Parts: sequence; structure tokens; C-alpha cells
Amino acid sequence: MNKSTTSIVTATLAVAAMATALAACNSNPPKATACSLPEGPDLGRAISAARFDLETGCEHQFDQYFQHLLTIAEGDPKKDNKASFSEFLIWANEEGLLSKRQARETYTRYFGVKYVSLVSDYSVCDQTCPRQEEVMREMNRELVDKEQGLLKVSADRREYYRANRLFQETELVLEATCEACGPNE
Amino acid sequence: MKTTTIRNRACKRKLVRRLISGCLLFMPMAVHASQQTPTIKLFPTTVLEEIKHTGNVAAEMETGLQAVITRLDEQQTLYMESKCEGNEGDPGCEQIARQMGKSYLEMLTVMGDKLPEMETAVNSTSSSLEKRIRRELGQKKTSWSLQELLVGEQSESGKNADKPVLRGRSGMRLSDRFHQYYKLVARSGGEVNSSLAVVASDIYLDMQETSSLIARTREEISRATLMEQLNQSFGTITPEMQEVVAGVKSILFGEEEALTPMTAPPASQPEQGYESPLKL
Repeated sequence: MNKSTTSIVTATLAVAAMATALAACNSNPPKATACSLPEGPDLGRAISAARFDLETGCEHQFDQYFQHLLTIAEGDPKKDNKASFSEFLIWANEEGLLSKRQARETYTRYFGVKYVSLVSDYSVCDQTCPRQEEVMREMNRELVDKEQGLLKVSADRREYYRANRLFQETELVLEATCEACGPNE
Repeated sequence: MKTTTIRNRACKRKLVRRLISGCLLFMPMAVHASQQTPTIKLFPTTVLEEIKHTGNVAAEMETGLQAVITRLDEQQTLYMESKCEGNEGDPGCEQIARQMGKSYLEMLTVMGDKLPEMETAVNSTSSSLEKRIRRELGQKKTSWSLQELLVGEQSESGKNADKPVLRGRSGMRLSDRFHQYYKLVARSGGEVNSSLAVVASDIYLDMQETSSLIARTREEISRATLMEQLNQSFGTITPEMQEVVAGVKSILFGEEEALTPMTAPPASQPEQGYESPLKL
């Protein structure tokens, strides 16, 4: 009988201890669960805040964070911003949020002259011409992103001018090449 | 007296514009291309020879047209100075109008004589370029390597932003265009910057368009000639005549408008920009 009473007391104490521990956890919830986009005009601080959130449960919102950082950077456009975004993307790759290829393509899409829309493995006649219009639409969308990255964020008019010229030349050369390739089968 | 439809006039004007401004492009371009060491074989000797021949045919046509245009210009001046507008019944004015009509017929004859040879030359050049572009750009390149080719040529030409704007050249003063070609040829010793892929594409697309216009206009010329022969009996200057002549003059002697590129290079000097390790 005494043995049974002791067991009940022990079990009760254990349950009470667990309840206390759980209550303690609830009083300090992790900050990342909020996933609130960083505020304020300072890009450096915003990147730090974004890093914290992204490594503590908000990784599924990477695209929103990245776009928000671009918007913040537009408030203070300068060429140094390119380096900030490059470092941020390298960090994202090291943290496993992005593959190396994704990091490269994202950086190039916004801050490079070349078009990731033109990445391909096969010949122009075989792979590009059958979807020429779609490719040009994708390039056009990418040019809008370059306008944001190169002009509005980095204030790099020269590189944006090159990207714009490349768009026009590619359009002309693709038109002629696809005409020369002949009708798609 | 309006004797033709708007479509006919537009077609003829467009042809004249294209033939002269488009085809005269070839001679200087041939020299330019031959003096550069191409990284892609878009302009072999055979293509250059065809371009040269087409340029010669175009030059002959231009020479013939220019003489007639000069005469037409003089006749037009005389017509205006004689206050013949609104006074068409005057025998002197009728005579001037008939002389203008003859000159106009002569212009149509020159075009009619030269167009078949021109059509053959243009089609031959177009066909050769088509094969070259298909092989060198369409089959040997991916869209990424094609882009790298264009970017490479861009960076080489980055210090010289004054390379000619090729597309849409028909609205440009002919003298300015020749000036540009002259500069290109003169600099060909070490600093020619035009992208061969872009130049080849531009010429090829122009050839396609020109070929189509020649075919359509050859069909129109005999009808326009007949109509003008009929007009000769009335001694009337038709709106068609005036518009076609004005179109030809604008090509030969230039227009005021000049094409500007969509974007202009920034005025500041190039700086050593940030190079990210992520850059593709």
C-alpha cells in the first residue's frame, strides 16, 4: 500500500515538473516564427535581420525577403549594394537555402549583363527557335529585373545600358538566325 | 487627278527607299568585313563577292536615278516659279508638266531595267547569308554561347559607342550613312568594332524584305508606266508622281530626321565595377 502511494506521488511530481517546463517554454517563443520582413532604410541591418529570420524557420519565404531587401536598397542606390547582395546570396548558398546555381542565376538576373533566360544546352536552331517568342518574353521580364538591380539598386547605368543593348542585339540576331534555320518541325 | 491607290504609292515609295538605302550598304560593308579577322565565318569570299556585285548593281541604279532626279528637280522648280499650280490649262505649264512626266517615265524605266538584275543579286546574297547564319549561328551556337559572342563584341566596342545603328537605317540621311561607313572602313586597321553577327543578321533581314518588295514592285511598274503614258496626253502632274519623286529625293539627298538609339551610353567614363564571384 505504502509502495503504491509512493509511486502515485512520484508520478504526480513528474507531471508537475513537465507542466512547469512547458510553461517556461511558452513564455519565450522563438522570434523567427513571426517571419516579419525587416523594416527601416538601412540595408546592412535589414540583411542581418533577414539572415536571422531565414536561418530560424522562415526559409520558405526567401523570395519575399530577397525582394524586400531590393526594395530597401532602392532607397539608397549605390554600386556597393551589388557586393552586399552578392554576399547575401553566397551566405544563402552556404546555409543551404539556395543551390550554387540558384545563387548564381539570381545574382546574374538582377546584377549581371547576361541573361539567364538564355541558358541552354542545345543549338539555337533546335532549342531556342521553336520557343523564340517565349524566350524573348522571358528576356524582357529579366530586363525589368536588371533595371531594378542595376539601375535602381546599384546606380550602374553603364552596365544597364550594356544589358539593354544586348537585349536588342539578341532580338535581332535571333530573328535572323531563326529565319535562316527555317520552319520548326 | 489621282491615278493610283495609296497602297501602290506606298509600295513604290517603300521600294525606292529600300533599294537605294538598303543596297548601297553593301560596298563599304564588304570592304569593312574583309579587313577584319572574323571569329565566325559569316563573310567568306563568296559572300563578299556577291555583296560586292549587289552593291555594284545598286550603285548603277543610283547613278541612273540621280541624273533623272536632278532633271526632275529642275523641272519642278521651273513649274513652281512659273506659277503653274492652279494654272494647269496654260500651254506653257502643260509643256513643263509633260516634260516632267517624261522624266518620271524615265525613272520608272531605269528601275524596271535594273530590278531583275537587282532581284537576282539580292536573292543570291540572301541565300548565301542564310546558309552561313544557319550554320555558324544556328547550328554551332547555343543561345548562351551566342549571347557570349555578342557580349564579347560589346565589351570590345565599349569604348566606342558611335557604331552605326543599322536597323531602321532607311530614315537616315544617305550622306550620314556613307560618312559612318567611311569611318568604319578608315578605322578598320585596328579598331573595327561592329559585331559581325549583328551586321550579318541586319543585312540578311534587309535582304529578305528587299527581295519581297522588288517582286511586288516589278508587278506594279508596268501598270504605273501605262498610267503615266496615259497622263502624258493630258500633261498633268499627278500626286503619285510628286510623292514618288519626293521619296526618291529624300533618299538621295537626305532627310532632316535622324534615328537615335533607344538608349544612349552614359556620359561618365567606365569604372572598374564590382565583380561578384557569383557572376556568370
